[in-house]
Amino acid sequence: MEILVCVKKVPDTADAEVILRPDGKGIKEDDLAFGINEWDNYAVEEAIRIKEAHGGRVTVVTIGVSDSEDVLRRCLAMGADDAIMIDGGPFAGSDPYGIARGLRGIAAARAYDLVLAGAQAGDDGFGMVGPVLAGYLGWSHATLVTSVSVEDGKVAVTRELEGGLEERLRLALPAVLTVQTGINEPRYVSIMGIRKVRSKEIPVLDLAKVGLAAGSVGENANVLRRIALSVPPAGKEAEMIKGTPAEIARKILDIVRERGGVG
Amino acid sequence: MAKVFIVAEHRQGAIRDATYELVTLARELESKFALEPAAVVIGHGVRPFAEVLSRHVNETIMVENEALADFRYETYAAVLRDIIMKETPLVVLCPQSAFGMELFPRLSAETGRPCATDCVQVEMDGPSLVVVRSIYNGKINSRLAFASSGGYLITVRAGSYAPAAEADKAGTIRDYPCPAFGEPFKTEFLGYREAAAGTVDISQAPFLLSIGRGIKDTENIPKAEELAAKLGAVLSCSRPVVDKKWLGKERQVGTSGRTVKPKLYLAMGISGAFQHLAGIKGSGTFIAVNRDPKAPIFRAADYGVVEDMFKIMDALKEQIGT
Ligand SMILES: Cc1cc2nc3c(=O)[nH]c(=O)nc-3n(C[C@H](O)[C@H](O)[C@H](O)COP(=O)(O)OP(=O)(O)OC[C@H]3O[C@@H](n4cnc5c(N)ncnc54)[C@H](O)[C@@H]3O)c2cc1C
Ligand SMILES: Nc1ncnc2c1ncn2[C@@H]1O[C@H](COP(=O)(O)O)[C@@H](O)[C@H]1O
Repeated sequence: MEILVCVKKVPDTADAEVILRPDGKGIKEDDLAFGINEWDNYAVEEAIRIKEAHGGRVTVVTIGVSDSEDVLRRCLAMGADDAIMIDGGPFAGSDPYGIARGLRGIAAARAYDLVLAGAQAGDDGFGMVGPVLAGYLGWSHATLVTSVSVEDGKVAVTRELEGGLEERLRLALPAVLTVQTGINEPRYVSIMGIRKVRSKEIPVLDLAKVGLAAGSVGENANVLRRIALSVPPAGKEAEMIKGTPAEIARKILDIVRERGGVG
Repeated sequence: MAKVFIVAEHRQGAIRDATYELVTLARELESKFALEPAAVVIGHGVRPFAEVLSRHVNETIMVENEALADFRYETYAAVLRDIIMKETPLVVLCPQSAFGMELFPRLSAETGRPCATDCVQVEMDGPSLVVVRSIYNGKINSRLAFASSGGYLITVRAGSYAPAAEADKAGTIRDYPCPAFGEPFKTEFLGYREAAAGTVDISQAPFLLSIGRGIKDTENIPKAEELAAKLGAVLSCSRPVVDKKWLGKERQVGTSGRTVKPKLYLAMGISGAFQHLAGIKGSGTFIAVNRDPKAPIFRAADYGVVEDMFKIMDALKEQIGT
């Protein structure tokens, strides 16, 4: 199996303060911690497991600027064979269509059996890159994949639906799968492991190398145009319980007792 | 008059609730921007669904065919492509769900009609369609305009619009011919798989202590278990706790886990993603503990505590002891 995994470097915004840029078109990124998109980490692990079971190669690709290199090296340390960087400069501000066009150049030019992507990116993710890429390529696809088993020229997958329900599908190869969290337990990456792949060469491809003309991607080529970002309106806010932890605990227990709970 | 189509979502013999939220949105687009709503029902044995929708909108387009019995993007996209090209709706709506996520981005690539997923608001600004998406873990709203196109595809986040109440319009149902499919198919539906029943049923618990990624490590799980036991609560959690295998899937609250309706929901270290909050709609009192004052969960909770959850857990244990 020749497998391509698409990975993106994203900021952790769940556990950090998110501040708007003065121009209102983006957020301040300086104080945020960046890392591999959570869904992509599961995708890389799944690709490596498929390779370990069936042979082949795993290539990871990102459209990003040079500081995304650490994410690619982390994937190499996990066990990916090759990494490719598509120069993200011209893609700045691209919508999912621009990203999918960039990835198409790689996926189409080499004989991959499978492309894995995350079900969504945790930043402003649309959950679109995977299925749009599949549409461009004319390949089969499945989103929200929770298991993969390789058969002869096909893959059987489960997709996550709502309420704990899953569906089972069989897809003809080549296929694009978008991976849902929890599909596996991604392996731990040690500093030693990253050091070992320190000198592995990572080619950087420009637009022409992925078959795109200047101006065909990036903010000006977008069909989805960001007008402005804003902080969501407060709406109904919770009543805040303040005080020392002991005082807060007492108040919580009062509410518990009021609601007929034990305590 | 420009049209707005609602693609009805149904599974295993029932229309899914999110469809009725789209009815509300379509009605809003009708009253504010003079778009004409219609419903699209695709499947096998779907006349009853078409009848339900015909009570909400003037026209329901029904595509009935054996090959559509099980949802696959391949067949459903082919049908929708045909409908979009012939009926030229300005806007086509679908829920942001496993159904919409599988179908709409693909349909967009195949038709060239631009798609915005996971929208919480949809409106017209003059001739252009504008959507609002909630991004960066619910902390920021992003307003987006589409480049001008003959039509737009939108998936809508659950809970963004109230579901339409029962209606009694006498709308028409139009039998729409199923287009020929370019067989052989590349995808094959094999069946459904129900999650294995676990040892606890959190959906029945009157009091849930629910933990999220803030619990940080598997080593802290026993602390939460102990507190739940002391409180007389059942322990539940958000998705990352299950993804990491710290607790079983049967304890997960949310769209892809269980829907719960406890009298009291005490959430600790949970940010308040919509997929989580959708699982506790209709709960009684909701207390959230989170060290981040900007966590979206405080927009949904009745009571909020901005503090380290471990300090609160310890204090609760102490207070119960005395
Ligand atoms: C298709 C799909 C289905 C999904 N279904 C579900 C579902 O059913 N249920 C579900 O829960 N999610 C679901 N998700 C995931 C969802 O989008 C969120 O990623 C998830 O709910 C986040 O969980 P969390 O709040 O525990 O973690 P995070 O978003 O990482 O938040 C952790 C929170 O803990 C706080 N925190 C950290 N440390 C402490 C501390 N010491 N004290 C106090 N607070 C602390 C942080 O401030 C942060 O707010 C789904 C996603 C997708 C794409
Ligand atoms: N810049 C990028 N480079 C490589 N892959 C990407 C990039 N952006 C998105 N992807 C892939 O597409 C998935 C979904 O992204 P999105 O459609 O933006 O939610 C991610 O999980 C990645 O696998």
